[in-house]
This record gives sequence, structure tokens and C-alpha cells, in this order.
Amino acid sequence: MKTVKSEKLTVNSLKTAAIAVIALFAGLFISVNTASATLTAKANHDHIKIDFFYHGSTVSISGITDPGTDLIIKIASPEGHEVLKQKGKVGGMLWMNVGTLKFDKTPNLYEIYSTKKLEDLISPEDMDKFVIGYPALSRHVEMEASAKDEDKVKWFGEFIKYKESSKLYATSAGNIELKDKDGNQAYYILTQWPYQAPPGDYLVTVYEVKDGKIIDSAESRVNVEQVGVVKTLSGMAKDNAVLYGIISILSALGAGFGVGLVFRKGGGAH
Amino acid sequence: MYLYLPVALTSINILVPVGLGLAVGLLSGLFGVGGGFLLTPLLIMFGIPSTVAAATDSNQIVAASTSGTYAHWKVGNVDFKMGLYLLVGGFLGGLFGVQLIKVLKATGNADFVIKITYVLMLGIVGSYMFFESLNSLKKKKGEASAPEKESKFAAMLKKLPLQTRFEKSGVTHSLLLPVIFGGFVGILAAIMGVGGGFLMVPVMVYILRMPMHVVVGTSLFQILFNCIEVTFLQATTNHNVDFILAVLLLLGSTVGAQIGTVFGRKLKGEQLKIILASIVLLVTIKMVFDLTLSPSILLSQAGGH
Repeated sequence: MKTVKSEKLTVNSLKTAAIAVIALFAGLFISVNTASATLTAKANHDHIKIDFFYHGSTVSISGITDPGTDLIIKIASPEGHEVLKQKGKVGGMLWMNVGTLKFDKTPNLYEIYSTKKLEDLISPEDMDKFVIGYPALSRHVEMEASAKDEDKVKWFGEFIKYKESSKLYATSAGNIELKDKDGNQAYYILTQWPYQAPPGDYLVTVYEVKDGKIIDSAESRVNVEQVGVVKTLSGMAKDNAVLYGIISILSALGAGFGVGLVFRKGGGAH
Repeated sequence: MYLYLPVALTSINILVPVGLGLAVGLLSGLFGVGGGFLLTPLLIMFGIPSTVAAATDSNQIVAASTSGTYAHWKVGNVDFKMGLYLLVGGFLGGLFGVQLIKVLKATGNADFVIKITYVLMLGIVGSYMFFESLNSLKKKKGEASAPEKESKFAAMLKKLPLQTRFEKSGVTHSLLLPVIFGGFVGILAAIMGVGGGFLMVPVMVYILRMPMHVVVGTSLFQILFNCIEVTFLQATTNHNVDFILAVLLLLGSTVGAQIGTVFGRKLKGEQLKIILASIVLLVTIKMVFDLTLSPSILLSQAGGH
């Protein structure tokens, strides 16, 4: 269990500083509604071990916020690069791979949970700034097509479908539980961790929202790691490929002969 | 029960690969095909990345064909001499086919050529086998097919040099014949990314005129070596062989191959041919549907086909 205490985003604090300077110059006291650093985020089950019997997991995210605020939780892997095949019609009737699409600055896993619909919570500017929601992600991602068919909206839509079909992308609104706790607000959500998510570090960011603005954020991490047999085999397949190949072939030959012998003795054949 | 696959990086219900393995192994034992043309797409359907599916499938076929070859060898249905010449041809054809793919990829329409070749080959081979075996089943009561009119093609084959006797198959051919046709299948198999059993079987039956039961055993023997090579190359160059998935598949397929061999001996050559032809035709129809119906997602993983 690890808790990362409210870490104000640098952008946010710069903005705060700027406002403070302006306020000083104007000789006025403007009540800047940045949070009182109440926000905390904790991911329980922050170290997921992939063993032989792994079939996904659950991760619960909880913490404390200021009362009366809304929340957006983003779980994402570091941004990366992805190349996908593009299907299209050839000769007006046959569906074939017609080219490749390169996606850059895309997280492999991207999940957004919010207390209300995103459009009702924050401004498009904040969505873009913090890359929250598919529309914002589509503007953030860089896409390059090998074919002339460069309809970014359509192909990003296909990209989302592709990711959602393997459970790596998800959005949901209204599933975060909110409760009063000592004058503050406690939140809790249980998320399904997809087994399709590969080993790596994942970042959980909780954004505190008030009056259409993100006023604070806190982070926590989830680490996914292979252990035991799974780790040994996947390491060997990469680092000791010749031996791995020979073992695979010999095991197959052995199994084939073994079963052949068993069947002969067992009278399966004649 | 679910197991995690360390190379495919996904989790699968063990009943799926064991069941699929059993079914495909059965086909191997019965017809002498590796079954990659069925198993690879099925594995992809169950969430295995396409490149891992193809590579692991060849690993699995090593086990199924060992089991099948062993069972057929026990009852004298493997023509090792013929198998070796086919292998030589297949090996050379494979080398040539890989180069051909590079040329195709450079021209940019590799995918189109590959898919169309695949569908046409499946369709032609399937229909020919189907109608031919249907005809011979109908006139079964007559002669055993001994005095079939020697076609010009057959006469020409007899004139080729290096004629030799293949004892197990009971045929006499030029050594060049299995090498050339093995090579031809090798080229196509390399282009289509499949083992080529469904092409090799008809070549042996219709061009080399081998008895169906020997065809099955010899084909398995040939496939075994092919797949050992492919598995090794896939493991060392692409790191795509999933050992756990292969083990789950071979648990089913090695047993399936034995059962298939036992069943196969209860069926006549023509019956075997017509069932195989029907399966090939069904796969063709499925592929035609895949090509013409709008896919639900227009993006897929890059690499492999």
C-alpha cells in the first residue's frame, strides 16, 4: 500500500503563482480556490503479479477530497507507439489490409472514471490540457497513415473500438462512490484490471473538479510484473531463443512419441 | 481453469486450446494435414495475437505429426523415400517462396495476392477433390480403377529421366516429380504462410498416384520436418512461440492424431478424400465471407497474416 500525498500539478501551481502576482499588483485579495491539499489517492493492490494462473485482477482506488467536489480518475500506461493494419475495400467488394496506421503518443492502457459525464464536469480546455476523455486523446495522439485515406476522426474511432475490444480502453461515468467523512468527502471505486494489460508501470491520477475546473490532483502507481514460471519462460523466449526453440521442439517430439507409445501399449491401435 | 500465456501475454481457458488441439489432431491423423489453416484463425479468434498463433501452431504440429507419423508407420503407411524427395523439393520451394514474398511486399499489394491465391487454391483443390471422389464413390462397384485411360500428362511424366520405384506407394516415377511438385507446394505454402498439407495431399493423390492411406502417413512425415524448421526459425527470429500454449494444444492434438489414425483405417480412401474436400470447401466459404462482409473493427495487429 502506498499513498502519494496531494501533488499539485506544476501547471496548476504556475497558474496559481501568476494569479497571485497579478493580485498583488492590483492590490486586491482574490480568493483563489485552489484546494486545501486535502486530496489523497490510494490504489490498493498496487503491485499486480502475473503468475501462471493470472486472469486479470481488481484495483480499487480510494481517498479523501474536499466536500462537494467532483472527481475524474485516469489510469494510463506511459505513452507509446503503435502500428496497426488498416482494412479497406479493394475493388469495391473485398475487405483487405490496405495499409498501416502509426499511432504516436498513445497510452496502451487508458481508463477514465468520473463522478458525472465528462462534458458536464470540465471545460474542453481542461480536457485537452490533462488529456481526459477520448476526444481530448484524439487531439493529443499523432496519427500517420500509409494510405491516402486520412480521415483521422474515423480511424481514431476504429482505434478506440480496437482498444475497447481488448479491454485496454474504458470510460465510465457515475460509478465512483462518494461518502461524507469527518467533514471531507471519501471516494472509492473498484476497477477491473484487464489481463490483456502487459507488465509495466501504470499511473493513476485523481483530479478534483469544482465549477468546471480541475483544482487539484493526486497520483498513485500500479505496477504489473511477471513472476515465477511466466517470468522465466518469457525471459527465455527473448534472451535465450535458440535454447527455447530447441526445448519447444524436443518437448513436442517427446510428447508425440510418448502418446504414440501409450496408445500402442493401451491397445488403442489394432 | 485459466492459464496465463507468457509469450502471447494473455490468459486463456485451458479447455479451449486442449479442445481445439484434439479436433485438429484428429484431422491430422485422418487426412495427413497439419490443420494450420483451421487452427491459426481459431486461436486468433480466442484472443491470441496473430503472429504468436501461427508460430505456436507450427510447434504444436510437430507433436501432432510425430504422434500421427508414428501411428501410421506402425501400420506401414509411411513412404519414407517419397517423403524425403518431397521434403527436398519443399525446402527449396520454401526458400524461393520467401524471396517471392519480399518482391510482392515491395510492390505493395502482397496482401491482395496472398489472400486471392489462398482462396483460389483452397477452392480449386477442394472442388476437384470433392467431385473426383464423388464420382469414384458412385462407380465403386466396378473396377478398382486399374485401367484408367493414360492421359497425355501421365504419359509425359513417364518419359522423364531418373525413373525409380517407390515400393511403399507401389508407383514408379521420375525422382524429379516429387522434387518439383514438393517445390511447388513449398512456394505456395511460404507465400500463404501455411504448412501446405492440404495442397500436398492432393498432389500425392492425383499427380503421384499414391494410395490414400500411404498419402496420409507420408504427408505427416513431411509436415513433421517442415514444422520443426518453422518452429525453430520462429523461436529464434521472431520470438513468437508460446511454450505453454503449445503444450496445451499438443495435449489434445497428440491424442487426436492417434484417434484419427484408428478412424482413418476404418474408412475407404474415397471417403477420406471427400470429407477432406468438404472441410477445405467450408474453409473456402468462410474465407470468402471474411473477405466480403464488413468487419466490425477496421484495425488489426500488424505482423503476420
